[in-house]
Amino acid sequence: MLARSADNLFWVARYIERADFSARMIDAALRLAALPKAYGGDGTEWISPLAAAGNLELFKQIHDVPDQDNVFAFLAFDRDNPSSIRNCIENARRAARAVRTALTVEMWESINAAWLELRRIESSRDVTKPMPREEVDRFLDFVKTISRDFDGAAYRTMLRNDSYWFNRLGLYMERADNTARVLDVKYHVLLPEAEQVGGTLDFFQWTAILRAVSALTAYHWVYRESIKPWLIMDLLVLRREMPRSLVSCYENLARYLDFIGQDYGQQGVSQRLARSTYTRLLNSRRDEIFQRGLHEFVTEFLADNSRLGGVIAEQYLLS
Amino acid sequence: MRIAVRHETHYTYATPPKSIIQLLRLTPRSHEGQHVISWRIDCDADCRLKAGEDAFGNITHTFTVAQRVSSLSLVVEGHVETFDTAGVVRYAVERFSPLLYLRETALTEADAGIEDLGRTCLARGPLDGLHELMGRIHARMQFDTDPTHAATSAKDAWSLGRGVCQDYAQIFIAAARAGGTPARYISGHFFRDDGVVDQEAGHAWAEAYIPDLGWVGFDPANCMCPCESHVRIAFGLDYLDAAPVRGAQNAGVGESLRVNVAVSQARAQRQN
Repeated sequence: MLARSADNLFWVARYIERADFSARMIDAALRLAALPKAYGGDGTEWISPLAAAGNLELFKQIHDVPDQDNVFAFLAFDRDNPSSIRNCIENARRAARAVRTALTVEMWESINAAWLELRRIESSRDVTKPMPREEVDRFLDFVKTISRDFDGAAYRTMLRNDSYWFNRLGLYMERADNTARVLDVKYHVLLPEAEQVGGTLDFFQWTAILRAVSALTAYHWVYRESIKPWLIMDLLVLRREMPRSLVSCYENLARYLDFIGQDYGQQGVSQRLARSTYTRLLNSRRDEIFQRGLHEFVTEFLADNSRLGGVIAEQYLLS
Repeated sequence: MRIAVRHETHYTYATPPKSIIQLLRLTPRSHEGQHVISWRIDCDADCRLKAGEDAFGNITHTFTVAQRVSSLSLVVEGHVETFDTAGVVRYAVERFSPLLYLRETALTEADAGIEDLGRTCLARGPLDGLHELMGRIHARMQFDTDPTHAATSAKDAWSLGRGVCQDYAQIFIAAARAGGTPARYISGHFFRDDGVVDQEAGHAWAEAYIPDLGWVGFDPANCMCPCESHVRIAFGLDYLDAAPVRGAQNAGVGESLRVNVAVSQARAQRQN
């Protein structure tokens, strides 16, 4: 397969997953901001989705104080924000068009329809006024259906060959990155000084985060107890049965890289790196991670993950 | 290297036992030097197979058969991708401080001869000393499957001067501990590059803890550090901690056992 095709297949999935993540981060922030002031929220909620997605700097160049409306507009529709939902969908569609013949009809149609619908929403949006809350919710739901639609179409219809594997790699690379960032959100939403870790506000914040990544029910199934930060970390990092957990993402990355390596009869640094990270995750225990500090762990993981992205690009996508 | 392992254990009984219970340590975990691609345990009788973990972090299966069977076969099969890390074992599961592995057990008790061997070798510093120790054990011992059995201790094998990989490993461990170096027993599989695929048993070697390097493997039976050809399954203080199968049966008579281990290089195959 041409490196260019592999690259496009990889990025289609990555962009779609990223759009989904942005929608979920906005959702989490909306929930956090909806907590009554009596619980002690101090208005840092709208910094969190920006900080977690790593584009706080860019935001500050355009706006001054983050609030619901400008953060939403920035993350959803801003053309100057490379990872805005709008740009992700546009880029995904562009990449999909370049490898149109490697995709199935269902995959292409799901992306194309999403793009057309997004264009319609964009043109009918009144930029002078903030979007009403019901419309925001509807929009976020729409974005989440795009990923389900595309992902499901790929899963159900695509031939299991290198095209599929590169597509999956993009998905799981992005998902691993996103899950790590979700864990970091809480680090950026500061607890007010009077609030205690494990207090009421802390509880609501963690619940909002779990709900945003559709993991609240899973949490209760697995642990059958009240929300505890270290168990959330356990669920989103170390639980293999949780499809969004880091270890599950890496299980898939190692697996699909292995298929590619087998098929091409050649193994390289990306296979080794993915396996090594997977092994480390499999063999870690939550006390160790919590003792070392979750933020430090996440920062390190994000660096490892983006190194793997770089190595995959070098090995397969660039030439 | 991609290694395919197929480990078969067949039991036949003249009078079938009422029940059989076994603790299996047959499933490897990944670490930096090996990546488990697929692994499964199959049994030809109706059985219960419950996965767990022992105190060291080895994956265990409790295996029980509750009806009378006159024969039983247990097949473990899997693929592992291995890498040469010059014997250094990193990112493996570590539940205890290395100091635990100074503890002496009945099988790894050192007599005066082994103690002396360990002290002299390790006086040269840990890394050189352990290599020296491995060399001396390999030179003195003769590989022979006849005189020793699973319950032979290190000192007995050492005075016999003959034994199998298990004895080599336990002598190494006893000597290393006598010299003040934590050491442990490893059970696993060994891919032979001389084309021999079918083996009568699994393989065994030792790991010793070297400050700055961490755990490093030493395979005295082959006089080498474990490389791509070694698949590491379980570890413990001695053979009994890491034994592939330990078990008991109730009221069976005339048990006979046949083991076949096939370790080969896996052919490329695709699966989803």
